[in-house]
Amino acid sequence: MPAPAGDSASAPPLLEVRNLSVSFPMSRGLFGPKRVLQAVRGISFTVGRGRTLGLVGESGSGKTTAAMAAIRLVTPSDGQVLLEGRDLMALDERAMRAERRHLAVIFQDPYSSLNPRNRVGAIVREPLDLMGIGSPGERESRVRELFRLVGLRPDQMALFPHQFSGGQRQRIAIARALATNPALIVCDEPVSALDVAIQAQILNLLRRLQDDLGLSYLFISHDLGVVQHVCHEVAVMYLGQVVEMAERRRLFSAPAHPYTRALLESAPSLDRRKSAGYRRKAAVKGDPPSPLAIPSGCAFAGRCPQAQPRCRTEEPEPTARDGHLVRCHFPVG
Amino acid sequence: MSPLLDVRDLRVEFATRHGTVTALDGVSLRLEPGETLGVVGESGCGKSITALAIMGLIPMPPGRIAGGSIRLDGEELIGAPERRLRQLRGRDIGMIFQEPMTSLNPVFRVGDQIAEAILLHQDVSRDEARRRALDLLRTVGVPDPGQRIDAYPHELSGGLRQRVMIAIAISCQPRLLIADEPTTALDVTVQAQIFDLIRDIQDRLGVAVILITHDMGAIAEMADRVAVMYAGRVVEEGPADAILDSPAHPYTRGLIGCIPAIDPALAALDRLPPLAEIPGVVPPLHLLGQGCAFADRCIEAVDICRKVAPPLTGRGHAVACHLHAAAAASEES
Repeated sequence: MPAPAGDSASAPPLLEVRNLSVSFPMSRGLFGPKRVLQAVRGISFTVGRGRTLGLVGESGSGKTTAAMAAIRLVTPSDGQVLLEGRDLMALDERAMRAERRHLAVIFQDPYSSLNPRNRVGAIVREPLDLMGIGSPGERESRVRELFRLVGLRPDQMALFPHQFSGGQRQRIAIARALATNPALIVCDEPVSALDVAIQAQILNLLRRLQDDLGLSYLFISHDLGVVQHVCHEVAVMYLGQVVEMAERRRLFSAPAHPYTRALLESAPSLDRRKSAGYRRKAAVKGDPPSPLAIPSGCAFAGRCPQAQPRCRTEEPEPTARDGHLVRCHFPVG
Repeated sequence: MSPLLDVRDLRVEFATRHGTVTALDGVSLRLEPGETLGVVGESGCGKSITALAIMGLIPMPPGRIAGGSIRLDGEELIGAPERRLRQLRGRDIGMIFQEPMTSLNPVFRVGDQIAEAILLHQDVSRDEARRRALDLLRTVGVPDPGQRIDAYPHELSGGLRQRVMIAIAISCQPRLLIADEPTTALDVTVQAQIFDLIRDIQDRLGVAVILITHDMGAIAEMADRVAVMYAGRVVEEGPADAILDSPAHPYTRGLIGCIPAIDPALAALDRLPPLAEIPGVVPPLHLLGQGCAFADRCIEAVDICRKVAPPLTGRGHAVACHLHAAAAASEES
């Protein structure tokens, strides 16, 4: 696949998602009304070549569903997904399978995402086997190369997953994701299950691999600190919608949505000191609402420290200024 | 002032299939009334075992308290009769754990579980206990306490369940509250609410808190003093500001350096520097040798580090590191 470094003006972005929606019908027993869970509600974003887009949000925000729908692992109910301009939704199963080599996923839990009965070398080789890429000898040497690439030793290929630590298992998962030389990797909370010291190793590895291989990441995380370290662009999701999206520097230096500001106030920081009498300012009330009962008006209004009467009745439309998108009646700044 | 809690030279061993391992190796901690001590470290460092030991909840066997002393207000808890420990737990020592769903009984209404805790330790009527349970739900910020008092745990969100746990923990006005990763299973905005609540309660009741966490951000926000643990030992201990601003142990420095913290200075940078890494992983306890447990991962380690385990030395800000001790000694002379 042609993968020139950097975007030229005419080339389409690597991944373009337009108005994507995903809903799941919920069964409610024999006599209950049919309910629909609206997990993703009309979101649009692009991922450039060699770039990382962060999808940030809390549980139930739809960030994982949105990313999985963007690579057709979940079927969207509406919207368009273009991979280098090719419409993924229009492809039949066979053609979609051929596209799969350009797409990969790294999951959160390196314990459950690796088959405990397989040797790790075979786990990393599996995508090549399934897609019939290369001869057996070529696959073997590719796996060796992948092990070195992610900081493991080729002599560890014959071991089983349980013989590795959490961080090493995540390296194995990364090697497997890289096997077919994909253009886009969906990273679904790839460091959330790891200790901080190991987390740093994996985040640095992902960035190094991006620099060396020109990879693009769709990076799902609840942790804005992590997102700041790996993402070029950030989309903040709340209840199935993107409520704010901007280039990293812009989002972190001038967050405009009250929800983004609250997330920043809740993210780890060493500057908020008890010794200095720190007390949180923009405290958000309550829990994220259920995607089964989406409130009218702004979805965040019920928890927003700045909500006005209008916010509860009228849903704000997204507005964009200099590539900074905000969905709020009263954005800050 | 005599400390509320005085743990000295605590040794805890576990029988494992690799033989006897030392899970805690001479841990000493002091806690003044009303103070918050943060205990921080990676998985397996012994922070939760320390909490369990203080509560007299080490499973024996396979565990064994091999030495040391734990005094609460001067009273020795090691070797105290189980009846006495049960009296102290829940009355003088309140506890909050990571996963509120597994700590609450799923088949009883939350109001009854709070009332139960009150009836266990206080001579009041059932009606009075229920009235107090309602008050407590209000205190911990559960909305609609009159209705929620009759809810079952599964009908509440994770954040509300943790609030119920806190209500139980403070139901008898304890002098010591042990919070073991109380927010790890919660969404970030809910985490912030729980931290705010713990600080509120501390202000109101004057309760001392031991906060066990892997999160240096939580330490900054919550703790007066900090103990950093590694492989069953306290490697650095002191005021939170001293630990965060001038960490002396190479492990503490690494732990702080590897956090992807939110920092306004980073928001302006075109490209963020890679995170600091601590190479390798925490060694399994059965493979600990004679020397400093961190030596294998320490870039500054010298010969003596691999031969002799350094003692924790220094007043106020104490450090267990040969290099630091040598530097301090040469500064003095």
